Amino acid sequence: MTGSATNRSFVRLSGVGHRYDPDPKTPKAVTGVNLDIQRHEFVAVVGPSGCGKSTLLRMISGLLKPTEGEVTVFGRPVDGPRDDVGIVFQKPTLLPWLNVRKNVLFPLKHKYGRYSHEDEKRADELLEMAGLESFAGKMPDELSGGMQQRVGIVRALLLNPDILLMDEPFSALDAMTREQIGFDLLKIWEENPKTVLFITHSIAEAVLLADRVLVMSKRPGTLLEMLEVDLPRPRTRHTISEPRFAELTERLRKHIYEPDAA
Amino acid sequence: MSLTLPDPKARRLLLAAAPWLFFVGLILLWELVCRVFSLPEYVLPAPSAIIDAFFKVEFSRWMTHLWATLRVALMGFLVSIVVAIPIAIAMMRSELLTRTLYPLLVVIQSTPVVAVAPLIIVLMGSDDPSRVLITCLLTFFPLVVSTATGINETPAELIELSRSLDAPTRRETWQIRIPYAIPHIFTGLRVAITLAIIGAVVAEFVAAEEGLGYFIQFSTSFFRIPQAFAGLFFLAVVSLLLFKSVQWTQQIFFPWSLPKK
Repeated sequence: MTGSATNRSFVRLSGVGHRYDPDPKTPKAVTGVNLDIQRHEFVAVVGPSGCGKSTLLRMISGLLKPTEGEVTVFGRPVDGPRDDVGIVFQKPTLLPWLNVRKNVLFPLKHKYGRYSHEDEKRADELLEMAGLESFAGKMPDELSGGMQQRVGIVRALLLNPDILLMDEPFSALDAMTREQIGFDLLKIWEENPKTVLFITHSIAEAVLLADRVLVMSKRPGTLLEMLEVDLPRPRTRHTISEPRFAELTERLRKHIYEPDAA
Repeated sequence: MSLTLPDPKARRLLLAAAPWLFFVGLILLWELVCRVFSLPEYVLPAPSAIIDAFFKVEFSRWMTHLWATLRVALMGFLVSIVVAIPIAIAMMRSELLTRTLYPLLVVIQSTPVVAVAPLIIVLMGSDDPSRVLITCLLTFFPLVVSTATGINETPAELIELSRSLDAPTRRETWQIRIPYAIPHIFTGLRVAITLAIIGAVVAEFVAAEEGLGYFIQFSTSFFRIPQAFAGLFFLAVVSLLLFKSVQWTQQIFFPWSLPKK
């Protein structure tokens, strides 16, 4: 694997696909995905329910082995769970018996069985960055859904992963919280650049957050379209009222609703 | 239909007092029925007669019988905790084990313990071990089922989180699955503690020289019905207290595991 293109691409998927059921009559969940993600790029994936977006994400994380093609990170094939990947799930999935700080520290406790004083300091710093410092001692059920999900993001950042995989992380939140947490995520990402793969159902959210939006087809899921989002950063709530934003979301909608016309 | 009281304080007071008022009312009604119809004591003793009978029995005798029942019930309860929880964990790890053991567990659960108890006594003698075994046969199954249910209800995302961290299975079990099972384990424990008392009493009915179950049976056979009732109520109170202690244990040590109001 040589060549400048390879060196620049951080995550590379070549002809990646997955079939859950070995029976060849059932459709594959994902097939023929070719994708290069640059380092510190923010990529959003949109597509209908059940199109294999989550499957794609799990293959990149190493939780799931592709049944066809190959995933490489920095040129090395992914053949098992990687600890340079942070995952944020649809639900915050915090542990109800641990307070917020301990939840954030959980990945260390779970992986190594312990954490140091330094780690605690890092957890507190991350919590402060997410505006949660005053909630460090609270239990998860004392927090709103939006705050819980923010803790989920902070937890994913604890091990300082290079790649952040987010599986519809805001879909369980109400519209206003959702918008706010999107801006919070952008702020966190700008302060701690990561390569992000962000799965969402929301077209506006995808355009607002990402450098690039990928559109996936129905099952078997494959990449249909790719939209470069050239909106300037940092993006704020004023971005939403810019004509370019409306233009891009409209174009994305066209890709989704009339894939042939676009 | 809801009762509307202008004062929320009075409403709260009524809600708190209602079960007690009902209980006291019921006892008074019982007393009244016994007196009005002058029912003989061996048919239905009046509450006052039962209270009388209770205090006629020496305190030390009550304690002897209580201790005999409590000892067996608690030992059975503890033994089934120690056995059931590891089995549930092992079953979660191995589908083969689940398939192998589950039918046997169901057979044990669906066999009436009362019918098996005499056979166990014949087989093992009429000492504590056989009584504890009889108790375990009752308490074991709900504990295995509740623990296994709880362990399986761990959110898939957390298991993925654990896998993505490449953490050892031991930690996945101890740091995620078992704590997640705690609310379910306590549901099982609450069922099991009352079943433990039932088990101990069943064992005493078959063969015993002491214990509250033995006391009730003995009193009945001598037509000391008020005394039998006194033993029954004592047993009910003990059982209730044990049930409550399980609840308190959960409230004190695992407050997060309680359902939110």
